[in-house]
Amino acid sequence: MSYFFQIVVSGIVVGSIYALAALGLVLIYKSSRVANFAHGQIIASGAFITYALTVWATIPIYISFFISLIITFFLAWSVERIFLRRLIGEPIISVIMVTIGLASIIDGLIYLTPFGTKNFSFPQFLPSEPIAIAGVSISWTQLVGVIITTLLIGSFSWFFKKSTVGISMRAVSDDQFASMSVGISVPSVFGLAWATAGLSAAAAGGIIGNITGLNFDTLHAFGIVVFPVVILGGLDSILGAVVAGIIMGLIQQFAGGYLDGNWGLNGTGEVLPYIILLIILLIKPHGLFGIHEIERV
Amino acid sequence: MKGNELKVKGLKGISQIAITLVVGMALIGMASLANAGGKVYKIGLSLAITGPTSDAGNPYAKGVEDYFRFVNDTKLLGDDKIECTIKDDQYQTDVTKRNFEDFLDQGIVFYLNYSTGSTLALKKDFDEVEIPVLPASFHAGNVEDSKYIFLPIASYSEQTILLAEYIVKNNKGAKPKVAMFIHPSAFGRGPVSDLEKAVAAGLGIEIIEVVEHGKDLDNTAMLQRLMSKGVQYVLCQTIQSPVATMLKDAARLGLTAKIFGEAGKITFLGAHYTGGNDLIDLAGAGAENFFWTTSYTITSEPGAGTDAQLSLAKKYGRDDKAANSHNYANGVMVAQVATEVIRRAKEKGVEITKKALYDELNAMNGDKAYQPPTTVGPVTYSATDRAGVDSLQIYSVQQGKFKKIGEPITSEFIKKIK
Repeated sequence: MSYFFQIVVSGIVVGSIYALAALGLVLIYKSSRVANFAHGQIIASGAFITYALTVWATIPIYISFFISLIITFFLAWSVERIFLRRLIGEPIISVIMVTIGLASIIDGLIYLTPFGTKNFSFPQFLPSEPIAIAGVSISWTQLVGVIITTLLIGSFSWFFKKSTVGISMRAVSDDQFASMSVGISVPSVFGLAWATAGLSAAAAGGIIGNITGLNFDTLHAFGIVVFPVVILGGLDSILGAVVAGIIMGLIQQFAGGYLDGNWGLNGTGEVLPYIILLIILLIKPHGLFGIHEIERV
Repeated sequence: MKGNELKVKGLKGISQIAITLVVGMALIGMASLANAGGKVYKIGLSLAITGPTSDAGNPYAKGVEDYFRFVNDTKLLGDDKIECTIKDDQYQTDVTKRNFEDFLDQGIVFYLNYSTGSTLALKKDFDEVEIPVLPASFHAGNVEDSKYIFLPIASYSEQTILLAEYIVKNNKGAKPKVAMFIHPSAFGRGPVSDLEKAVAAGLGIEIIEVVEHGKDLDNTAMLQRLMSKGVQYVLCQTIQSPVATMLKDAARLGLTAKIFGEAGKITFLGAHYTGGNDLIDLAGAGAENFFWTTSYTITSEPGAGTDAQLSLAKKYGRDDKAANSHNYANGVMVAQVATEVIRRAKEKGVEITKKALYDELNAMNGDKAYQPPTTVGPVTYSATDRAGVDSLQIYSVQQGKFKKIGEPITSEFIKKIK
């Protein structure tokens, strides 16, 4: 039975990290209807900034993690301010193309640093012995990852539901012109969306980097890996990202635990999430929690 | 007035062109004087300096670059020089092909390639232009139906089979149960069928499962499944990053064998690109007791190879990571082989052409075998032997460093399945 529960725990851990990594995509889409293809690069940047502060600037990792969140917050805000603000009102596809270009620029910049082509790992700062209860184990890194994910997602949910700025962001997402007519600054909302997305991506980067080690290829790939999570959840739903992330994590782990290696099957953990994504999208084309918009002409 | 201005502008233009021509000719003259009496042999290298696998490609490129600089600086070829153009292909085969065609236009006599995919894809091109090629890929399929590709060291198949032989020799108890953990590509899949052939030929292991990994954040399910099937050994043929994640998970779950073949635990082993210092950097303490094979010496073991590698890296100002990388040694080694065949052809007084260097590679055997300092055995090639260094050294991570296990060995079963 511990076999089953271990897979459940691992699925939830992986799923919640997917949810955190997907959150940045949701935040940007939610406010500007743009899919950010540079998200993986921002995830990687967050991890590398944390490492640089921790190892090179010898700042304790607890502090450097928070500093990296702040730095990435302002970096992402600057990106929006410099590259994307002037595209407000332009076709969405133009903005998406800019994010693809942005990914290449960030790639190039990272390749100019040692992080582009070298591997690093965070110094051990948590106990190496895992927490084991009734034969089910979870590492401290994973546990801290889940706690940070829960805190961040909870904070963002509160922010969007209760705070004035969050409600403004939702209003902009619903109707930019109507929002402007009631005095909401749409450009500021876009900037804030990018900044918060950067912050959440940096948090995801720090956690993933602690789990996999710091390899640029591995880290930036998560920007793409979490796309199915965002689509399944419904693109603009934070709750959707959480539920879809956990569904994806559980599917991957259960497929790995029960299907792979049996009946000639292999790699189902990679494929099955996409198959289930397709099935769910056939039934619910806007994802599990996506808003079904009806336009009346 | 306007006419005068035009005249002045015209004169200025002519004088600028004249100055440019004079300076250009002077530079050409100086360049030819600088290399007076010497010939220039052109070599091309296309590899992933950026993009996927650049953690291996980058130090590899540095190794190649440094050794050719060393050759020219120390006049190893007398007044002759090697001019090696290194181009980044970002691990994209179409870019590699374009780079290779550019190199051909430049008149290269020797080509250094990188990935398995591009080596397989360009195999026909290499044959067509009859150019000797040393890739960084040790895929056995590279040399099938090709006369011009030479593997620097034993193939991935040979490495995997040798590790399996090591398991058989050191396993206590019943027939060892083995799983393979491979990259989802030709690079990863290459050794699977060869290992299966070796098992059919009598190699005493049972292959329980072949796992093609993805971009996994957690390998718990896979590891538990392998444990439930009684797997004792996992043979890895991939790159370091997925192995590191798996090793960390295994350590967390308490599944890693503390000594080779420990009962009820899993012993992890891997081929060339799974190991090295990068694995320790990524996996940290999780890398402990990982067993790895390659034909290169490593800098955590003292010796002539280590001294040569570190002094070359120091001479050209490389940082510690590059200097201690086995992929740096890999790059140095292919540059050494290319230099050696040029030197031998030169010694014979023959013109340095693609064919002359190809012939020299094929003659590199017996008493003409070549021993670079950074490999654990000599480089031998012939018309039938396309793997350079046949010997492999097994290393294991002990207290955060790769340490030698015994002496270099060769695979017995690879000969049986050839």
